[in-house]
Amino acid sequence: MRFCLLDRITELEPGVKIRAVKRLRPDEDYLEDHFPRFPVMPGVLMLEAMYQASAWLVRQSEGFAHSVVILKEARNIKYADFITPGQELVVTAEILKQDAATTTLKAQATIEDRVAVNGRLVLERFNLADRRPTRAGTDPYLRNELRQVLSRLLPAAPK
Amino acid sequence: MAVTKDEVFNKVRTALVDALGVDEEEVTPQATMVGDLGAESIDFLDIVFKLEKAFGIEIPRKELSPEDILTNADYVQDGKVTPAGLAELKRRMSFVDFSKFESDPQVRNFSNLLTVGDLCRYVESKVGA
Amino acid sequence: MRWFWIDRFEQFVRGTRAVAVKAVAMSEEQFDDYSPGYPVMPASLVIEGMAQTAGLLIGEMSGFEHRVVLAKIGKAVFQFPARPGDMLRYTATILDVKTDGAMASITSHIGDRLQGEVEMMFAFLDDRFPPGPLFDPVDFAEMVLAFGMYDVGVTPDGQPIELPPFYAQAQRDAEQGYPPTPSPVIASGR
Repeated sequence: MRFCLLDRITELEPGVKIRAVKRLRPDEDYLEDHFPRFPVMPGVLMLEAMYQASAWLVRQSEGFAHSVVILKEARNIKYADFITPGQELVVTAEILKQDAATTTLKAQATIEDRVAVNGRLVLERFNLADRRPTRAGTDPYLRNELRQVLSRLLPAAPK
Repeated sequence: MAVTKDEVFNKVRTALVDALGVDEEEVTPQATMVGDLGAESIDFLDIVFKLEKAFGIEIPRKELSPEDILTNADYVQDGKVTPAGLAELKRRMSFVDFSKFESDPQVRNFSNLLTVGDLCRYVESKVGA
Repeated sequence: MRWFWIDRFEQFVRGTRAVAVKAVAMSEEQFDDYSPGYPVMPASLVIEGMAQTAGLLIGEMSGFEHRVVLAKIGKAVFQFPARPGDMLRYTATILDVKTDGAMASITSHIGDRLQGEVEMMFAFLDDRFPPGPLFDPVDFAEMVLAFGMYDVGVTPDGQPIELPPFYAQAQRDAEQGYPPTPSPVIASGR
């Protein structure tokens, strides 16, 4: 589960907000390339962590109604600080508004109360059945897989 | 065709809404760029680019960011800007109201000085509005 | 997981525009459990590919003396997700370069279809950060050569470009077993 960028979810208020944590481990292999002489978490992975936290909030809030929840837009994602190995990132997201197909959230990641990155995300929600009728059978499969991942991140999640 | 002050304000407001992700209502002439609108140094690069494009002007860095004055030993002592430094700042940035800053000219207070109104006056001086 | 999110430059016009391609493959590590059954190339990694395309284009302007890092994503909009088997084509255009940073606009296409568009800002690290280059000069030279930067790289009037002298020298020195030459990283104030 290496591309799951969150270690655990500490709070999840359906329809409202989520809080998760991620520790940058010194042995994460992309650090060797980013950068060889100055290992820091790539900015886009901080964005990915904010997106993943947002996606879990969205999925749990709507009872996994849509099997696919992807990043459609990101706005004003500002990087204030580097994250070095050993530091723990606290990732939070709050729902600002939602319509039938998209959810808009405000997200940020902090290290010890300093904001390292923040911005606005728009997530798109759909089922394969809507776009690729031949893949309709994959929706329940995806839902089940993702529910299991969530239960590992947030053991207390209502099922 | 001359640009009016209203047009300047509207375009400046659009640039700030785009660059900072704030709502239009938050962009008032008295709003400070750093304190009220949350602008950080990387945002200034974005804002400068958008203003240059919107108004067809060039904005040299020193005209909006007088770091050279604020780090010059002739103009700063014990973390405060000296009278000579203040004179330099006023000369460089005549569009800013320094009266409140003058009462306590701590260098660290400087970054929160610039208001939306100051930015508009700066642009007006460049486009002759 | 390596941190290369472009595969090759197809076009590289100094200070102007660069086009790089990235093949999305089922075997890549971001798909190990990501959206199982319906793997989707994460938008964040598409953004990284765009940042690498634009960042190298910007860095080359100063002979890679500036340390160029992503500072802000102004706006990123995606039309549809990229998937294994797609060939992403990133086209980066420099919008502005100043002493402390630069701005670029990058599009992502799959065939003729526009997949995404991003406007981003880069900062040139000053010496508040650890001094010296982010990469070993020889490794960096080999990396940009491997990306084909100098196979297609030209000036705006069509003259081929070459590895900056510092990097070419570092490559020659390494061949001869000499220690690396001092870094050309510009001190702050310039």
